[in-house]
Amino acid sequence: MSTSPTLVRRNSPLHLTLLAVGALVVVAAIFWGYGLQDFNRGQVTRVMIYAVAIAGLNIASGYSGLISVGHSAFFGLGAYTTGVLVVRYGWSAEWTIPVAFVVCFVAGLIVGLPALRIRGLYLAMVTLAFGVAFPELIGRFDSFTGGAEGLTIRNRMLRPPDWTGFKLGEKDKWLYWVAVVVLLFTMLAVHNLVRSRYGLALVAARDNEIAAAASGVNLAVAKTVAFGVSGALTGIGGSLFAMYLGTLVAGDSFTLLSAISLLTGLVIGGQATRFGPILGAVAVVYIPYYTSDIGQGQAAAVLFGAVLIAIIFVAPEGLTGGFFRLFHKYVVLVPSVAGRTPALRQLKPDPTPEPAAVEELAATRKSN
Amino acid sequence: MTAVEPREDDEAVLDESALVEAPAPEDLPHDDIRSSGSALLEVRGLRAGYGGATVLHGIDVSVAPSEVVVVLGANGAGKTTLLRAIAGLIPHSAGEILVTGDVVKRARPEEMLRRGIGLVPQGRGTLTDLTVRDNLRVGAVTRKDRSGVSADVDRWCEVFPALAKRRDQVAGTLSGGEQQMLAIARAMMARPRLLLCDEVSLGLAPVVVQGLFRVLRELNAESDTALLLVEQNAELALAIASRVYLLEAGTVAASGATEAFRGNDAIRRAYLGY
Amino acid sequence: MEIFLDRLFSGLTSGSIYVLIALALVVVFRSSGTINFAQGEYALFTCFVAWWLTTKGCPLVLAMLVSMVVGFALGVVTERTLIRPIRKRNEAAVLIVALGLFTALNGADGWIWGPEDKVFPHLLPNGLNDYVLIGGARLHYDSIGIFVATGLVIALLALLLNRTPLGLKMRAVATNPESAALSGVKVGNVLSVSWGVSSAIGSFAGVLLVPVLPPNQLNLSGFFPILIFSSAAALLGGLDSIVGAVVGGLVFGVAESMLNGYATFLGGSLQLTVAFAIIVVVLVVKPTGLFGRRRVERV
Repeated sequence: MSTSPTLVRRNSPLHLTLLAVGALVVVAAIFWGYGLQDFNRGQVTRVMIYAVAIAGLNIASGYSGLISVGHSAFFGLGAYTTGVLVVRYGWSAEWTIPVAFVVCFVAGLIVGLPALRIRGLYLAMVTLAFGVAFPELIGRFDSFTGGAEGLTIRNRMLRPPDWTGFKLGEKDKWLYWVAVVVLLFTMLAVHNLVRSRYGLALVAARDNEIAAAASGVNLAVAKTVAFGVSGALTGIGGSLFAMYLGTLVAGDSFTLLSAISLLTGLVIGGQATRFGPILGAVAVVYIPYYTSDIGQGQAAAVLFGAVLIAIIFVAPEGLTGGFFRLFHKYVVLVPSVAGRTPALRQLKPDPTPEPAAVEELAATRKSN
Repeated sequence: MTAVEPREDDEAVLDESALVEAPAPEDLPHDDIRSSGSALLEVRGLRAGYGGATVLHGIDVSVAPSEVVVVLGANGAGKTTLLRAIAGLIPHSAGEILVTGDVVKRARPEEMLRRGIGLVPQGRGTLTDLTVRDNLRVGAVTRKDRSGVSADVDRWCEVFPALAKRRDQVAGTLSGGEQQMLAIARAMMARPRLLLCDEVSLGLAPVVVQGLFRVLRELNAESDTALLLVEQNAELALAIASRVYLLEAGTVAASGATEAFRGNDAIRRAYLGY
Repeated sequence: MEIFLDRLFSGLTSGSIYVLIALALVVVFRSSGTINFAQGEYALFTCFVAWWLTTKGCPLVLAMLVSMVVGFALGVVTERTLIRPIRKRNEAAVLIVALGLFTALNGADGWIWGPEDKVFPHLLPNGLNDYVLIGGARLHYDSIGIFVATGLVIALLALLLNRTPLGLKMRAVATNPESAALSGVKVGNVLSVSWGVSSAIGSFAGVLLVPVLPPNQLNLSGFFPILIFSSAAALLGGLDSIVGAVVGGLVFGVAESMLNGYATFLGGSLQLTVAFAIIVVVLVVKPTGLFGRRRVERV
């Protein structure tokens, strides 16, 4: 090893400065995106929407190890919730987002219930079946959903609220900001969930079920709730998608191939990372766009499949993981002394150690 | 001096207080057959383990043709790891395994079987969904002589009458003792020159265990099969063995003829309990 | 009565196809402990190969045999290069690789041969008048053909597993790979062959299937539902049981047909939802299925 990495202490001035710079860059990027031409801004909006959806999938498949091949159904459920409420009941679009969250959370709980008892492989089958059955269910309730012809949300139903200052035709600009807010909310939610007791237990369980069972967290409940939250977040992505697209046809947008796209995006971006979903969304949106002329439109599928396999072999932690691996050769974040180890300082030594035993222990340690 | 109870060690960690009663290593016998010409199996300086953890820290063991050798040691000393490494189930990171003087480059189960070394694994490894007959036939997959194989199936059913009765029964329904007999028979179907036996007495009633050791002794006497037994039940094993190795924390702490071991008061007390 | 028999025959016909794909899934599951989600796409790919051969003038039967050989080869290569290296890692990785194969193969089909529907020649006579009257209901010749073909595959598979040395090794590896290895079985080769056999069965099923199930033409997404139905059937019967695959497939096919015919309140187009419900119920109530033995839950 040539040079050891630079150590940066958490919460030190250097660390905080770097974080501030990073935040400024993000803010600048957001405004830059807003300033783009309509089509490109729309693409960025789409990336944000998929980032939300993939972040939701990340909670189940990345952090909890519950591979889901059917999250397109949650995406679609959120989209149709918004669509139906706006078109049939005249709601204003923004208020449908929390409803979509709740509806998809409940659906996620129900689908996740089998996770209580079965292995990941079987849960994947359940999610696969759910994802493939979803368009069928939409077709069944076609009085609500418009069935196979689809549901169209007219632009006038999506007019931006007056307080924003946007006019009727400026739905896309308004949607851009909504997407920014939802994405920030999603990332915050994921961040907090992952660092909570439940999040830590879920990650531990993903890797070693038996050890995690000792953590005191009811794993079965945690997994089911995690699946619910996962569905809910993907669902609000779907809600935004409905506003973005305006026309919902289940057989086109919410199929098995879309579910696999979401998973592919997650794996490419990096499972169980906070920024992976964003990178993954970029891939999911731009790869099909740039390859749409090749191979009669099928090139994207071949590419996705090949990349998926390649990543598992070469870089299972995805782009984000690979980036951080490289990054950690140069900079490593070290816990701050002050706040992080109070527990250690409270440990008192054994009050009455046997002098002989202590010396023996010391002797053996030296000889090792 | 209070008698030392055999202790349950957590890992291969040497508990010094247990050795307070046992003699210093220099006082223990260390006889070995070192000439590679006469040894059927010779293991030199073997290091092996699982993942990052090394369990065996340089083991020297040898078995002569038709010999019965026992490896004793407490839990976690590395006995099972040793057998698995010899059988080729796990790779060794250092050291050599020699069969009749030839170094085995890559120890894999098929290769070791070809050289005449078979393993009766701990827990029996019964093929639970297959019949007794099929279990035995699996043991002979490396053999080419069809008629010889069916003759051997019959022969082993003669040796173990309990198996004869259950030839077409699904092996998973057999009792523990019957499955152990099946495991031995299955390994013998490949006609090995050396049989590695990993704790055949585990979980079985004393009467059954005595019967098993009787069979093992006959195996050795009549078909000249050498035996390398790993046992915690030292008494019965010592009754049929000519040499003993004592494994402790991944190294050979002592070795020698059975009588020497029995004659050594400290070892007897520490490992045989009387 | 005729309607019932009609439905029965129809259900047994599609059930036979589910049996075949379920058998393919079960063979892989027994040996590798995992489900090959790309199984349907292997079958589809080899179907396209067969179709392409027939457009070049090759007789269908020969094309079918070639597609089975291609399927076998695909299975062997997949197991060796893609599955074996990562099996030890974790099963999520295997799943994702299978999904990658699924996507890539499906895309490759469209790329190589174009996304339009293809007309597939019929192996068995299926004109409007090719049937036999039983109890007033029509039993079409192609249905009989499918029954016979399925029966043949079941018999051959049973023969392979129970009466050949290879089958003995496959059963040993399926039960306890380590013990099999200790007895000298080359476990890796057996696994590869298992995957090959599984794919070959799938290819056979694919060629039989296309003319029978709607839309009677070769298209890119036609096999998705079949995979789901067959998975549900295999799960119902027990993923590690050959008998279970047969029973599960037939039961599923007949049940689906009956539901379609009689329970019209369901709208007749909820097959996938029903399959989903069956999967969930089996996994919650009896995860090992009707005939399975392996325990399904994690420790």
